[in-house]
Amino acid sequence: MRISELPEIGTKYEIESPKGDKVAVIFLTTGEIELYVLESDADKPSVTRLTSEEARRLGSVLTGALLTIEQEDIEVSFSEISDLRIHIHLCPVTKNVVGKSIEDLAIRKKTGVTVVAISRKGQSIVSPPPETVFEEGDLIVAVGKREQIKACQQVILGQG
Amino acid sequence: MNFLLDLAIVTVSCLALGLASKYLRQASIPAYIIAGIILGRSGLDLISSDASYDFISWLGKIGVILLMFYIGLEFNYKGIKEPRRLFAGCTDFAVNFSVGFLLGIVIGLSLIEAFILASAVYISSSAIVISSLIENKRLIYPEAETVVWLMVFEDIILAILLVVLTSVMVGSLAMIPVSLAATLLLIVFILMLIRRLSNFIAPLFERDDEIPILLIFALIFGFSALAYLMGILLHCHISEVIVAFFLGSALAGVKSFRKLFGTIISFKNLFLTIFFFSFGMMFQFQFAALNSADFVLALLALIILSIVGKFISGAIIGKRLHGSLETGLRVGAYTTPRGEFSVVLIMVVMEIGILELLPSIELLLSLVVAYVIILSIMGSFFAKQGDKIGKAMMSVVNKLLPQAHR
Repeated sequence: MRISELPEIGTKYEIESPKGDKVAVIFLTTGEIELYVLESDADKPSVTRLTSEEARRLGSVLTGALLTIEQEDIEVSFSEISDLRIHIHLCPVTKNVVGKSIEDLAIRKKTGVTVVAISRKGQSIVSPPPETVFEEGDLIVAVGKREQIKACQQVILGQG
Repeated sequence: MNFLLDLAIVTVSCLALGLASKYLRQASIPAYIIAGIILGRSGLDLISSDASYDFISWLGKIGVILLMFYIGLEFNYKGIKEPRRLFAGCTDFAVNFSVGFLLGIVIGLSLIEAFILASAVYISSSAIVISSLIENKRLIYPEAETVVWLMVFEDIILAILLVVLTSVMVGSLAMIPVSLAATLLLIVFILMLIRRLSNFIAPLFERDDEIPILLIFALIFGFSALAYLMGILLHCHISEVIVAFFLGSALAGVKSFRKLFGTIISFKNLFLTIFFFSFGMMFQFQFAALNSADFVLALLALIILSIVGKFISGAIIGKRLHGSLETGLRVGAYTTPRGEFSVVLIMVVMEIGILELLPSIELLLSLVVAYVIILSIMGSFFAKQGDKIGKAMMSVVNKLLPQAHR
């Protein structure tokens, strides 16, 4: 990986495959990100411009965190611990939980799922304390095994 | 006298021509200058009064100040010290400055005028060059880096040229060292003061209200006023443009300043557009001079030689840095556009110029205006077609010197 500074443009990260294909990521000073791909025998590169949000998603795919299609669910696995598969799940609150706290609902006791964050009106609450009360419109980020997440959706949120 | 009407004329005409240039995928700098020429003194003369002309020029001057401030902010002292980059920058300067200077002497300009012409001809347009690198998707190629650093190097040279030119313009030979010393003293003072005050002003830049932008303008105009007063006291001239550049580079070191870049860029873009208009507007076309065969010949020679100059310097740089003549020719094509800096240089000189020192100022001015308009348009084309031009020139080179590249 070669990193170089391009004054007035941004920073360039460049990598060359053994075949001679080149991939470059350029963080523009405007905050956008350009992705260049240049095959070794091509005379023109393919270029696309990403917002930082899009780049982050693409990044998480590239680092190996698999994005499954059902709702927003990321499966994380580590190469060292092959049997460990953790799901990070994003679910909107339902009528069943609004006005109740994490403690009241006994989410962990009943399902094994841990609530790691709540997104409320664009602000994130990371590691919310057990007494946190869910409000209308909250998004819950929950972590657990696939079965645990499923249980949480059924028992706590009252879905399907 | 109605400033509102005049401002409407300036903004509407610039908007129309600016949009047209974007649709045609052309550089917008010449569009604004042409808008000024058409509506100003030498054209329809629609600006209502002398006061309005002054008013618009003043708004434009803020644009130049902000441009130089921004260049100072972005300026990277550390990166440019790398030997490869220094080599490229020096080659670019040596070749292209000489071309302009020699041609200036040949067409009968005075030494100082030839120096001014050489400065305007040497310096490429960072704005056009950099935006065309991005638009034409060149950033993955190694020469893009070389070109960008060339632009940085040109920024330093620009600062030096401005200091030298404003000092030389004081009139008498004995005053030049005084003027130079005063300018350098002020620069050191600004750099030291900002560093000293850095802890005190850094929190001010973090505020969300009007204070940060107010502080920036207060610093710019405050130091410019100081430069002006020093100038009066010492009978010399210290340009506010130089002050803005060094103030910008001093403030770049203040933490929390990055947050304000966006705001500064918007102000800069607006006022710089008005500057290009005002430059065209004040310019009195000497139609007699324009029609003369001498003028046309001089202009043609200037255009051709300066383009050849950039290709030669590009070729040398490419051969040395990238080991490829073709890459070098592309560097030449990318650095062909001239624009904002040439105009800024000529404006600064015109403002302080003592007429005895500039006997052929009319010719010089007409030459540079016509030159910048043509080279900004041609240059964008060259930059866009860089690879094709490089390839075509290589095939010619290979035919002429078949053994050289085996």
